Amino acid sequence: MSKSVKKFGQLMVISILALSLFLAGCSKDQASGGNKGGGKDGKTEVTFWHGMTDITLNGLEEVIKEFEAKNPDIKIKAVYSAGGTDTDEKLLTAIAGGNPPDITYFDRFNIGSWASQGSLEDISEYAANSGITQDSYYPFAWEEASYKGKLYGIPTTTDSRLLFYNKDLFTEVGLDPENPPKTIDELTAAAEKLTIKDGNRFKRIGFIPWYGQGQLYTWGWVFGGEFYDKSTDKVTLNDPKIVEALQWLTDYANKYNIENIASFTDSQGSGDMDPFLTGQLAMQISGPWTVSSIQKYKPDLNYGVTPIPTPTGTDFQTWSGGWSIVMPKGAKNKDAAWKFMEFFGSPEGQKIFSGIVRDFSVIESVNADLGFTEDPILKEFTAILPVSHYRPVIPEGNLLWNEQTAAVEKATRGKGTPQEILDEATDKVNKALEKKQ
Amino acid sequence: MRVAQLTKSATDTQPLVLTKKSSFFNKSNITGWLFALPWIIGLIIFYVFPLGSSIYFSFTTYSILQPGEFVGLDNYKELFKDKIFWISIYNTVYFAVFFVPLSIIFGVSLAMLLNMKVKGMALYRTIFFLPTLVPHVALAVLWMWLLNPGFGLVNGMLDMIGIQGPAWLGSETWSKPSLILMSLWGIGQAVIIYLAGFGDIPEEFYEAAEVDGANWFQKTFYVTLPLLTPVIFFNLVMGTIGAFQQFTLPYTMTNGQGTPANSLTFYVMYLYDNGFKFFKMGYASAMAWILFVIIMALTAVIFLTSKRWVHYQGK
Repeated sequence: MSKSVKKFGQLMVISILALSLFLAGCSKDQASGGNKGGGKDGKTEVTFWHGMTDITLNGLEEVIKEFEAKNPDIKIKAVYSAGGTDTDEKLLTAIAGGNPPDITYFDRFNIGSWASQGSLEDISEYAANSGITQDSYYPFAWEEASYKGKLYGIPTTTDSRLLFYNKDLFTEVGLDPENPPKTIDELTAAAEKLTIKDGNRFKRIGFIPWYGQGQLYTWGWVFGGEFYDKSTDKVTLNDPKIVEALQWLTDYANKYNIENIASFTDSQGSGDMDPFLTGQLAMQISGPWTVSSIQKYKPDLNYGVTPIPTPTGTDFQTWSGGWSIVMPKGAKNKDAAWKFMEFFGSPEGQKIFSGIVRDFSVIESVNADLGFTEDPILKEFTAILPVSHYRPVIPEGNLLWNEQTAAVEKATRGKGTPQEILDEATDKVNKALEKKQ
Repeated sequence: MRVAQLTKSATDTQPLVLTKKSSFFNKSNITGWLFALPWIIGLIIFYVFPLGSSIYFSFTTYSILQPGEFVGLDNYKELFKDKIFWISIYNTVYFAVFFVPLSIIFGVSLAMLLNMKVKGMALYRTIFFLPTLVPHVALAVLWMWLLNPGFGLVNGMLDMIGIQGPAWLGSETWSKPSLILMSLWGIGQAVIIYLAGFGDIPEEFYEAAEVDGANWFQKTFYVTLPLLTPVIFFNLVMGTIGAFQQFTLPYTMTNGQGTPANSLTFYVMYLYDNGFKFFKMGYASAMAWILFVIIMALTAVIFLTSKRWVHYQGK
């Protein structure tokens, strides 16, 4: 090969490599995160991250369809992002990296921590302009979505927790199916009657207090404790009533041997293999989503719901969680994104979504419209909403959640007395809170 | 005298030549550096810079979303008082202490089995290597089902011989052994390296041993293993480094919770939680650097003691 051809060849290779590098750099810009204004066909494309599957995904798709029909110049690009109730690490890095989605489905109780980190857009102004105020939603939903007086998310769903019980099994062991337990003692006694043990294995368990929605939050409130003192801005995990609750859980674990229970719970499935549906678990604490589940997988299950038994048999409590839509800091198509948030949080959007998913709307009138206040099972859930608690809105929401979960683990496994464990946890969270001041 | 004369005349008649070898910026040097530049830039941007930032962040309350403030050695002091930090170290060390020696023993034994001149050996070797190709998350889910106390195959088989299997991943005492068992499933990679090591041992040693009347046992312990020590050394170092960074398996299996009762909370898991869940990236960075020091120290110890037990051929 002559020298000039060789040199030309080298030059070509170098320029092709350089060009491809350049193109790779350019195209990455377009593929990442939200589009800058004009996407395809002149529509504004809004990226929406969510973690929904199954029934909830159907609901979301219907809402999007209706929204796009009403707003032909906006296209919602729904992207599945496996976040969940734990902190969404993918979202975190996206916000830090400067290319977050325009909006994302978000566990409402995380709003406090994330807002305190400055990672969510303040939408108070948008809300005020659209006429959305505190009265638009249940009070606890609004409170959870706000931090230091500013609104950061639009609540979308909510729930409450009750005791589900299998009426057929009640009849089988001689309990009155129309008279479910009201006190803790009645609950423990009923659970014992309903349990069938075969050596070390459980054929059927009457009740597992910490299964399903039986977190320390649930029992703490049921026993009459408080987790957070707003006036001192301190967490009170070691409230005497909460210690009492944890003691009851520990005693229960010791009675039935925690490892055998763990074997049982580990072997359980979900969906149609859920132990409550298969009759292996006679009672459980859960939320309204179980109602949809039962309807889908085992509609002939003869069950009832009742408020969670308390030590006194009166003064029933529950707590509500729920989801919301938030706008991460640095979102690109804020106005278009806000329109979707507004729609989802409006009575119309709420009706579509909750109608399909059967999770409660955050708007009382919608719940009435959808018949939730009349359905014999669901009306129990909505009836208790007025007295429902919500998790403290503090910058360390996740730490507190983790600590109360860990506390149950530690106590039931015998790693210290409930008082010690809760004292330690309280200190830990309060110390972390102080740092954030 | 004559030699001096010769050299003197040699230097006299030598013309003055400017030796460019001493200068740094001669042509071949610059070209060399230019070609290496892309890799160097990559190294600096993706390796040195993050490394340096990480050290800096470990002295602050950086939380990814906020730059945080400089707090000096506070993160480190807090770490030493943190109970879960010590639990995670205990779990990680427990795992490393049991896993690494077991993986070497099983690895070498398996390699010896796979080194026999049996028909279809290539097939057997492939079979033993296959588990390493399984992604860790899939591995975790697979073993969760196998070790399921209610209807998993492991307890099923134990049941058949009349032993009531423990609650494996649900039991505090058995959760780490289960993890060690799972990880041992992936020794295929090390086995391949041992097989290569076997190939390195010259036949002459075996022939000499035969002549001296050595039996199989003596041959293994006096010829094979000593000459395999360089490979074992390599796997020991790599195995230790890897064992201390165990993350994917326990995280997937316990959904990040380290249940039961923190018995599966490994060091890197706790680091990850602190960095990404609790908004304490500075704290997590401090943990990362402590891990670096620990692994570095262990590796140094292994290297130092290697002189006594590693026999390199052809030295």
